[in-house]
Amino acid sequence: MEYVSPEGLRLDGRRPMEMRQIRAEIGAVAKADGSAVFEMGNTKVIAAVYGPREVQNRSQQMNDKALVRCEYSMANFSTGDRMRKPKGDRRSTEISLVIRQTMEACILTHLMPRSQIDIFVQVLQADGGTRSACINAATLALADAGIPLRDLVTSCSSGYLNSTPLLDLNYVEDSAGGPDVTVGFLPKLDKVTLLQMDSKLPIDIFENVMQLAIEGCKAVANYIREILLENTKQLEYRRGL
Amino acid sequence: MEEAGREKEVVTPGEVLGKASDVRAGRGAYVAPHNNLVYASLTGFRRIVSPPPDSPDQDQRPTVEVTHHKAHGVIPEPGSVVLARVTKVMAKMASADIMCVGPKSVREKFTGIIRQQDVRATEIDKVDMHLSFRAGDIVRALVLSLGDARAYYLSTAQNELGVVSAESTSGATMVPISWTEMQCPLTAQIEHRKVAKVGG
Repeated sequence: MEYVSPEGLRLDGRRPMEMRQIRAEIGAVAKADGSAVFEMGNTKVIAAVYGPREVQNRSQQMNDKALVRCEYSMANFSTGDRMRKPKGDRRSTEISLVIRQTMEACILTHLMPRSQIDIFVQVLQADGGTRSACINAATLALADAGIPLRDLVTSCSSGYLNSTPLLDLNYVEDSAGGPDVTVGFLPKLDKVTLLQMDSKLPIDIFENVMQLAIEGCKAVANYIREILLENTKQLEYRRGL
Repeated sequence: MEEAGREKEVVTPGEVLGKASDVRAGRGAYVAPHNNLVYASLTGFRRIVSPPPDSPDQDQRPTVEVTHHKAHGVIPEPGSVVLARVTKVMAKMASADIMCVGPKSVREKFTGIIRQQDVRATEIDKVDMHLSFRAGDIVRALVLSLGDARAYYLSTAQNELGVVSAESTSGATMVPISWTEMQCPLTAQIEHRKVAKVGG
């Protein structure tokens, strides 16, 4: 199948190095300590953060750092065909683990010993790149909750189809079965904290594809920063200071 | 406390606030060990606080801190004065739920224990817990320590600490008449409590 037309346009009309439109909103769940909605094109996820709070299960309590838990789920209506998937299937367990490890790497857990932080992410609309969107939403929610972070961790995916590196794959491109690289990145510290790939790539091409994903992460980070600054200024304005 | 002259600046996690040799990292900031830079760890306003000129240590670096807009719930810590409601009185101790730390109410549930030896300062081995507290009393207490895994250790062994409000068996709020007794305004019945000295 042709994923990049001779004119250099993708199926949804984007250029190979173009991202989908991103949109974020802070404070979507009133009861949570921090929450956010994050959209990348038609992919839409919601994240809620609770904590730091007392550890529910004492045996999991750690005396030197906080326990970070993450639960990923997909709404039944998020995909085209409505599927009744059991909660805790292999795919969502794996993504929960990936998100947890990525967030744990950027939270300053040693500042909150004997406590726990819960991150809940749910996919409301799935159109490829849910993993990345979930990490971005979780970062925003953690920043909103005021949990100390090393840096804002952001994520973006990229792929390689029709001999072209493509940024931010959508569902159709994702299910093409080609290489799909997801990167989690700390933009100010210039460090990669998550790197996953489906399928195979020669090492020299892989470098290019990964670099493309990193550029995407930086773009997301700039946007997230803007949203956070905007939110803080808005709150300050409402307080009348 | 002195503010920096220019307008307050909003920072996000990961932004560089300065070199560790120039500034100290306060709340909402951290020092990265690999390059000795101070980074922000919260979203909020950056403040630079000069050290007090009479500080004993030689370190005269200003402290940079980031204040977040969301306040975390208060948490009792050793030395803070709390208001607690007594939930259970036993022979050797009384347990209480902490409601306020200083002037602020807590958001989560914290339990405390007043042990027999911490009820009053004198004759500590002759204390009868049942003549000191009753379930439902509001006590002002000092947090002694973080206690065990379940409860904070509280103390009422000061004149200003003890029962500040209690209901009699007939349901009226009692009036303190001495540091060990309270009287019901309806029935004139006298009950024993470890009464706190309130006001002058």
